[in-house]
Amino acid sequence: MNSSSRLLRVRERFHRHETKLASLLLVLGIAVAVAAPRFFATVNLALLARSMGVLLIVSVGMLNVILAGGIDVSAGAILAVVSVVLVRLGNHGLTASTVLPLGLLTGAALGAVNAALIAELRIPPIVATLGTAGLFRGLLLEWTQGEWESSIPAWLNAVGSPRWGGLDASVLAAGLLMLVAALILHRTQIGRALFRFGDSPLAAMRTGISSRQPIYFAYISLGVLTAIGAVFYAAQLGAVQGNAANGYELTVIAAVVLGGADILGGRGSLLGTFLGVLLLCSLQQALVLLHVAVFWQNIVTGAIVLLGVILSAAPRLHRKFVLQQSSPA
Amino acid sequence: MTSSSSASLDTFHNSPPRFVQQISRLSLTGNLQPCVVTLLVLFFCIYAGYRSGDFWSTLNWQLVVQPLAEAGIVSLGMMFVIASGGIDLSAGAIIGVAAVTAGIAAHHKLPVPAIEAAALSAGLLCGAFNGILIGVLRLSSILVTLGSMILYSGIAMALSDGNSFAGFPEGLLWWNDAALLGIPLEFLLFLTTAAVAAAFLRYSVWGHYVLAIGSNRVAARYSGYPVALTLFGVYTLQGLLCGMTGILLVARLASARADMGQGLMLMAIASVVLGGAPIVGGSASVIATVVGVAAFYIVQDGLLLLDVPPFVQHALTSVLLLASVAVGNLLRGNREGRR
Repeated sequence: MNSSSRLLRVRERFHRHETKLASLLLVLGIAVAVAAPRFFATVNLALLARSMGVLLIVSVGMLNVILAGGIDVSAGAILAVVSVVLVRLGNHGLTASTVLPLGLLTGAALGAVNAALIAELRIPPIVATLGTAGLFRGLLLEWTQGEWESSIPAWLNAVGSPRWGGLDASVLAAGLLMLVAALILHRTQIGRALFRFGDSPLAAMRTGISSRQPIYFAYISLGVLTAIGAVFYAAQLGAVQGNAANGYELTVIAAVVLGGADILGGRGSLLGTFLGVLLLCSLQQALVLLHVAVFWQNIVTGAIVLLGVILSAAPRLHRKFVLQQSSPA
Repeated sequence: MTSSSSASLDTFHNSPPRFVQQISRLSLTGNLQPCVVTLLVLFFCIYAGYRSGDFWSTLNWQLVVQPLAEAGIVSLGMMFVIASGGIDLSAGAIIGVAAVTAGIAAHHKLPVPAIEAAALSAGLLCGAFNGILIGVLRLSSILVTLGSMILYSGIAMALSDGNSFAGFPEGLLWWNDAALLGIPLEFLLFLTTAAVAAAFLRYSVWGHYVLAIGSNRVAARYSGYPVALTLFGVYTLQGLLCGMTGILLVARLASARADMGQGLMLMAIASVVLGGAPIVGGSASVIATVVGVAAFYIVQDGLLLLDVPPFVQHALTSVLLLASVAVGNLLRGNREGRR
């Protein structure tokens, strides 16, 4: 191996989206370390990790869907439905061992509804999940009549309470689920099929991949992961209502695409998704520590998302604007 | 395998009935889904009129067409965006920015035309920013507008400090009160906008570019079409229409808040899709879009008069969207790909 090819490989790695995200995080980290050193206190880092747990779990599911060339804007509604189901059934005196499986089943079932609409009825994903988002949310609000469930069962409270030096079970679960997702995405047939199906459904079908299976897998896995996220969501908040997690799906999608996943499918990585979630959450935490007014936080978040989108297209833009003009046409 | 002569004999004897031929012709021209939706809504209207005496009253229709007009104007902009192969998630946030801008202008006691111009130009600027990122820098529309949605809603919140504005001059509220022959002016404005949009789509070279870019962007570029400029125009127009909607909303509700347009973005996308436009772009029809948005508001109003609980109304309108798209797909025979 000569030095020039090694240099090329290094350059290629530098142009990878994850590297750019990591450098963005580094810059942000240095800026925060100067402006608000408290950010790196152990207590605050534990708080940051707790705030990332749920978002990371749901984002891994959304990554599956986006890899398969789909999108799901009903994830927030599914999160709300499952968290209300968990808390209501728990408050009726059912034990954790019955409520938790029921919650996961609900998530899987709602994901399967999305998948069936997309795979069987051929409704475009954004339309199908737009419709089911309204449907799930409407039925949930009718069920709860807009009332709060202001107390949660003791076992659920125990799940969300901090231990292990400020961390709670959501951090552990997010780490485990990332490992499982990495194994499935890279070491199993269905995982590889997700990438290939998302890249080109037609080519995937020609090589013997089912035209339905990846869709069902992606949306059901998102449903199940959202249900797992809902357990910690309800546990951390301590109260739920029908309007919970309104617009949450957009944060999740923002985190995944900030992590470099291609919205057209076939490209994306768990590491990128993790960095995307880390960037969004630490940004929010830092803005709070810097005493930025709550209205300005959205402006900064939006600007960072746009910056991420521009960064991910940077090589193409570089070719278009710099190389084209320097070389004779 | 039959021989060619017997095959032609077969088709001669078993030629499908006339109405099947007509349906297949309709489905080929892409006008099938608006027809299905119109029929469904007509049946619904007859049922609602039978069950509720107020449904066919003039007052009811006057009340329906005002919110319909607001959503309709955004839907027309969204129709161009979707026809060009994109999507605009930031429409609701732009409406919020325009409404808050109008509120600030009114707070400073500016004259009515200045208030309107401020709101329109705020919408225009927001749309133009999207247009630069999507058209010139060629970034993905769903990602750009996702980011700019968060950005614009933040701007609207920061401009208003989370408060709502009131105390608008009479001249602005006139948009809500004025009527011609009993038809609210807002609705007439919507119809005029729709007619202009139809003319643009059909007779202007810009409309031709939009459809060409939506059906195949690469081919459009190789054909020498001004892709960047056209897309810039599409998103700027959408911003302008959002500004218009912001003014109408402020006039009707006599107040301005940052989160005013929240529900309208999804409503606009759903209306365009309900009218049968493919979400992948390359095709658009103003009449279908008007049918789509009218269907939503008429059904919602009817359900309200039928005393259906409010949350169930929400769920049922979603079912209407899913069902009509599914039926349209089945009638078209699954020819379209996903996405």
